[in-house]
Amino acid sequence: MKTIPPTDTTPVTGRHYWRGLDQLADTPEFKTFLEREFPANASELTDPVSRRHFVKIMSASFALAGIGLGATGCRRPEDKLLPFGKAAEGFIHGTSQFFATAMPTRGGAIPLVAKSYEGRPLKVEGNAMFPGSNGGTDRFAQASILNLYDPDRATRFAKGTGKDRASITSGEALEALAGIANKFAANQGAGLALLGERTNSPSRRRLHQEIAKKLPQAKWYLYDAIDSEIHQRAATKAFGKSVKPLFRYDVADTILALDCDFIGGEEDAHNSIRQFTGKRKIEKPEDGLNRLYAVESLFTLTGVNADHRLRIAASAVIQVAAAIAAELGVNVGAMVSNSKVEFDKKWIVECAKDLKATGGKSLVVAGVRQPMAVHLIVAAINEKLGNIGKTVELVEAPATISAGISELAESLNKGEVDTLVIAGANPIYNAPADLKWAATQRKAKTVVRLGYYEDETGVSADWHFPLAHYLESWNDGRTSDGTLVPVQPLIAPLFGGLSDLEFMARLAGLTETNPNKIVRATFATITGDSSEAAWNKFLHDGFARGTAAKKTGASWSSSSLSEALTALTPAATSKDNLEVVLYRDAKMDDGRYANNGWLQELPDPITKITWDNAVLVSRTTARALDVENGDVVEISAGGKTIKGAIWTQPGMADYSLGIALGYGREQVGRVGVGTGFNGFPLYSGKTGYIVSGVSLKKVGGEKYPIACTQTHWSMEGRAIVREANLQQFKDHPDFADKMNAPVPPRPANHVGEWPVSLYPNPLDEAKKTALHQWGMAIDLNGCVGCGTCVVACQSENNIPIVGKDLVSRGREMHWLRIDRYYSADPTKRAWNSTFKPDEKQQFEEWIDDVQAVNQPMLCQHCEAAPCESVCPVNATVHDHEGLNVMAYNRCVGTRYCSNNCPYKVRRFNYLDYNKRSLKELKGPFYPTTLLHSTEGEWDLARWWKNQDAGMRLDDEWDLIRMLKNPDVTVRMRGVMEKCTFCIQRIEGAKIAQKVKAGESGDVVVPDGTIKTACEQACPAGAIVFGNIADDNSRVAKLKKQQRDYSVLDFLDTKPRTTYLAKVRNPNPAMPDYADPFTFDEFEKQNGNPFGHHGGHDEAHAPAAAKGAH
Amino acid sequence: MSDAATEIKVPVVPAELERVPLVQNNRSFGWISDRVSAITEGKAPKWWWWSFIPSVCLLGLLGAMLFYQITTGVGVWGNHHPTMWGWDIINFVWWIGIGHAGTLISAILFLMRQRWRTAVNRAAEAMTIFAVMCAGIYPGVHVGRVWFDWWLFPIPTYQGLWPQFRSPLMWDVFAVSTYFTVSVLFWYVGLIPDLATMRDRAKTKIKQFVYGFFALGWTGSNRHWSNYEKAYLILAGLSTPLVLSVHSIVSLDFAVSQLPGWHTTIFPPYFVAGAVFSGFGMVLTLLIPLRSMCHLEDIITMRHIDVMCKVTLATGCIVSYAYVMEFIIAWYSGSAMEKFHFMNRALGPMWWGWVMMMGCNMIVPQLFWFKKVRSNLVIVFIMSIFINIGMWFERFVIVVVGLYREFLPSNWGYFKPTWVDICTYLGTFGLFFTCFLLFMRFLPMIAISEVKGVTPEADPHHPSAGGHGNGGKH
Repeated sequence: MKTIPPTDTTPVTGRHYWRGLDQLADTPEFKTFLEREFPANASELTDPVSRRHFVKIMSASFALAGIGLGATGCRRPEDKLLPFGKAAEGFIHGTSQFFATAMPTRGGAIPLVAKSYEGRPLKVEGNAMFPGSNGGTDRFAQASILNLYDPDRATRFAKGTGKDRASITSGEALEALAGIANKFAANQGAGLALLGERTNSPSRRRLHQEIAKKLPQAKWYLYDAIDSEIHQRAATKAFGKSVKPLFRYDVADTILALDCDFIGGEEDAHNSIRQFTGKRKIEKPEDGLNRLYAVESLFTLTGVNADHRLRIAASAVIQVAAAIAAELGVNVGAMVSNSKVEFDKKWIVECAKDLKATGGKSLVVAGVRQPMAVHLIVAAINEKLGNIGKTVELVEAPATISAGISELAESLNKGEVDTLVIAGANPIYNAPADLKWAATQRKAKTVVRLGYYEDETGVSADWHFPLAHYLESWNDGRTSDGTLVPVQPLIAPLFGGLSDLEFMARLAGLTETNPNKIVRATFATITGDSSEAAWNKFLHDGFARGTAAKKTGASWSSSSLSEALTALTPAATSKDNLEVVLYRDAKMDDGRYANNGWLQELPDPITKITWDNAVLVSRTTARALDVENGDVVEISAGGKTIKGAIWTQPGMADYSLGIALGYGREQVGRVGVGTGFNGFPLYSGKTGYIVSGVSLKKVGGEKYPIACTQTHWSMEGRAIVREANLQQFKDHPDFADKMNAPVPPRPANHVGEWPVSLYPNPLDEAKKTALHQWGMAIDLNGCVGCGTCVVACQSENNIPIVGKDLVSRGREMHWLRIDRYYSADPTKRAWNSTFKPDEKQQFEEWIDDVQAVNQPMLCQHCEAAPCESVCPVNATVHDHEGLNVMAYNRCVGTRYCSNNCPYKVRRFNYLDYNKRSLKELKGPFYPTTLLHSTEGEWDLARWWKNQDAGMRLDDEWDLIRMLKNPDVTVRMRGVMEKCTFCIQRIEGAKIAQKVKAGESGDVVVPDGTIKTACEQACPAGAIVFGNIADDNSRVAKLKKQQRDYSVLDFLDTKPRTTYLAKVRNPNPAMPDYADPFTFDEFEKQNGNPFGHHGGHDEAHAPAAAKGAH
Repeated sequence: MSDAATEIKVPVVPAELERVPLVQNNRSFGWISDRVSAITEGKAPKWWWWSFIPSVCLLGLLGAMLFYQITTGVGVWGNHHPTMWGWDIINFVWWIGIGHAGTLISAILFLMRQRWRTAVNRAAEAMTIFAVMCAGIYPGVHVGRVWFDWWLFPIPTYQGLWPQFRSPLMWDVFAVSTYFTVSVLFWYVGLIPDLATMRDRAKTKIKQFVYGFFALGWTGSNRHWSNYEKAYLILAGLSTPLVLSVHSIVSLDFAVSQLPGWHTTIFPPYFVAGAVFSGFGMVLTLLIPLRSMCHLEDIITMRHIDVMCKVTLATGCIVSYAYVMEFIIAWYSGSAMEKFHFMNRALGPMWWGWVMMMGCNMIVPQLFWFKKVRSNLVIVFIMSIFINIGMWFERFVIVVVGLYREFLPSNWGYFKPTWVDICTYLGTFGLFFTCFLLFMRFLPMIAISEVKGVTPEADPHHPSAGGHGNGGKH
């Protein structure tokens, strides 16, 4: 293709040159050319285009953009991308390419490998090369790819507020930005205020410093609605120098989490999960487990995975911290004696004893929502236990150089701010309520916003710039341990967005505004190596080795503790003194993912609620306040009132109300509209995330429907998730097998498999000749229930979302779900509570003190699959490698397979989820294609013209289609679907191996080559997939472990997916020491699996007498 | 004739219990022909229009609902994960069950020489056919992709794929389609002599042509009668196993699966008994009003009603036995899941379904032990309605209650029908009654020739009317 180098489309800053005779002549053609937002063709993206056409255009625009790299600093960032039209070396159409990049988070970055298919990023995975990483990620990273193709993201440069808002060209917008830069260049930035979000990007820090030099009068402010920097601030205070604590869950043997949800809501949870579960995935009892004590008010993932859990109001956690500290000999003054809250003293004593016994290998952590005082007490405890430098590593961390949002508010109120630039943050939605941000912000003359969405803050800004996605822009970051990672783009900004580096560089009028160059310069500064080779290696590896933050020694300053001790002792919570705990949502974060359908539909890891948050209350609270699930209530504190719907949460502390932040957004896209309730009005700088003195009032008779994916809470004593204590595991290493249903006794002279199956399985013949036999093992001791795998599966397998209405009708499409069961002491459960309707559970006493277990449930790929024999059209069949495969094209949708599947892991496309937009998925009247029209065109006519068209608006459809994995069929309505063990990955690896093997004939895929999407994403490494025919494969070894069992073994479906039973490690000295409740429930129903003696009684009997059955 | 008869010395017949005559009031052949044909020949009575118009409206509703469901997706119905079958399969089984009485009456009772069948068999067979039509709609449209229904038939195609013969749904296709075909044939063959009667009585050319066309040139010759009787016997022989097989196979949809509550070997006989039970229920529901509306009291006599009540009682007892036996099997099996299922059936959140089933199918029919009840038409009619309701709930208990709480409690979920489910079901009544009302307007709803055959006059040894004995003694 012959391309003519275009004239530059963007206006210059600085000296003005004629760009050509055309411009001089000011011809209309040239004018239109200038006005076009994108190079020729690129703006055609807004038209309904086919995927092929899209690739063509993108290639063309890359090509155009890539040509004529000038020396001027005003070029757009995409000019560094390779022209796709002139394919990159070695590029083969139809195969995917992988690029190392990273997703910036607040306090770090997640090193990633992103998959790109013909120029479209499709899937992100963790960078397994990264030191210490296992390739796991978190939910947000997995879901972030959907944001890239969000049709509701900011797609334009805009000017004006309210009705006056109008689209402008990027040229005009950049000119305005240049105007601001010029204005403030003159007065050294006086009156310029920048509000950004926390980031760990060294380039931004460097830019910040450069800007500070150039515009010394300009002010920088940082705001994050979820303040996870408190760990660093507390450590800095406690150790007298700017340090950041790194909690080493991989070293600690005993962990006490004080309202610290390090498995769920804390920053960098995926790393903590990897470290924590590393000590729990044991092979044999002698390996020993770490032990986790959790003190919390909400029932969090940390509490779910804890061996001991103390249920207490969040405001009272400081008392527990003080009591533990006192028990360990830290001088906490009168804090303990002044205590107004009650809790089990013995619990504290024994917990402290245990911590002390493992001193140096113990770890106490406090959560981000806890006040500074708790963090300081915790630092003192860790110091006392000798954990500093061992389980709490202190690393050098640069001090924060920006002020916070309250200082900015002050400044705005004083009228000191002329131009307020907000880069990224959404303070109108999530600033502390006491700042009255919406009004305060308007005190600046001009508000400029760089944002990913035209959200609450966006619509009220005078200028709005679209922010580029991290997969569209150059940046860098430091992971939580400080290692430098690149953020490199895989695609040119779809809507011409700017990266924040470029935006800030332009704003400050820096000469270098090319983010690629900025990042590269930072890289050279940090590593001291500016060579091309080093840079290329950095981009290839996705991190720079040896750049981790330095460990530092620091001495604890005892004065920090005395500061903590001045904290007031909290009053006990009661019916009249409720507290609200505002917490970071597992899915919405601080609201930034509100328009992400995957996250909205991902069931909350604990409550299993989708599309909403709720006011979580304990049963006692609900009874005291006379409310029940779905009741709309008003919650008032400090003059502010919010609305919410009640949800009774087992294991919640009494008189605590849990409200997840991030919902109830007002300016949000089509997906997030009308989801949940906004908790931010209760959040203020003074009270923080734990608000005391709250009152609650029922709003007369109003009910709010909540869509929950798992309505029944109890496992009913069935051996679905099998659990034992470490002691039981020691006494009965085969406890998981013992919990199998009894089989008829084996005749003395019987040889071979027992029990014998009535009919020969044709698969047994195929097995003999097949190269591979696929299987999966899931370690329930590894699985913490975070849900990353669910999103990863959704992303890999083109699984549609169905919307709240259909989730509430039980029609969510997740191929992989995480079952969460609550269990309680069976003596507390009434015999008939099993038979009550699910909505009555909320009134039952047993839910007060519960344990919870998680179990990822996906197609078990049964060797004797019940689904296969009942399909009348042979749509689901077995392959010779043991996969239960689904031929979508053959499926007519009788749904018999799902009825006969005992695991109920099959999902049915009840409506055309892929082609219907969310608003067409609301019952009870679903529009039919014969009567409905989309964008003014009759749907049937649309279909006639283009069989791909559905009820989605064209802009939605075009973007969403780009996200689809081309290796996986997009299913239509009326078709059954289910987990395939990522067959596309299996086949890809088999083909690659065949190509590689060539003449050698070595076509068996080596172990570990194939990772299913869920396995790859799992931060705990709890899911292992592989060839069970190979005795040395990881999965075969796991299946040989004694903890291995299959769910519903008695049906003899011979599942290829098996589970490793869970082992808890409670402390026998603790007052709440007990068998796992699920075990007790099982025992009550089925008798003791170990024979006549009780499981825990046996612990005291001689070892030789046990388990010999 | 009567003159000649008096001259013959007839030996005195030894004392014998007199049977209640099948046709009362000593009606003549002519009267029977006139009375039955009058329903089709006269002006449609008002009550017919009052029934027909709403039926057609409901039929329209059915069309609209199917149109909506097919164009939009199965999602418009209430079934969901885990209850992937809901009213679609309940109603399928319910209608199929109703379709059992007709063929049972016409085939099995024919083979057993139960002569009382003649008065009700035509209407019952028609009911069977229309009920099977209603039933057949459901498996046809309940699938996700209706346009690929033909994949369920063993048609050799370029795809080289056959249906899966291991699947009970496959067996269903064969069983139901065979049953429907044979039932239609049987019904039609039985109609031929009456069609000829209609032809002969027809007053318009069109009627003569149409009835004549379908009467296949019937003249009533001995040869015709001889062939006819043979064909009828053969078809009766063919239909008899079908009566047993259809519902057995429908029951295998459940029994072959492995769900607690479904996976049970007593289903085939229990389903057949249930089907006959519900079929007779529906026959009673239809014939009791028709009998008086069409003034057929002399043909469909109280004796008929009485006998049908007894059949209902007998099959009701079989079903009740099965209901109880299911619990005993669950207890005896030692299977925790089975035990749970039955506990949950009776005590779980859908206990009311079970109570309806037990009440209507087990307790209500016990009233039929009493002669007084059997002879009170109002009570019998009300009870027959209860039986229909009860049998619907039996299928509800099996389909929905079997699915909504099974192995993994994480999958448990409550089933609620949608308005489309309900309207589709109502719509099938529209189809049923529209067909039935048209049938009774255009075809003789009583088998004229057969009823004549059971009158005393039909007996060649019988003294003609006016002699002693005025009823059939057979």
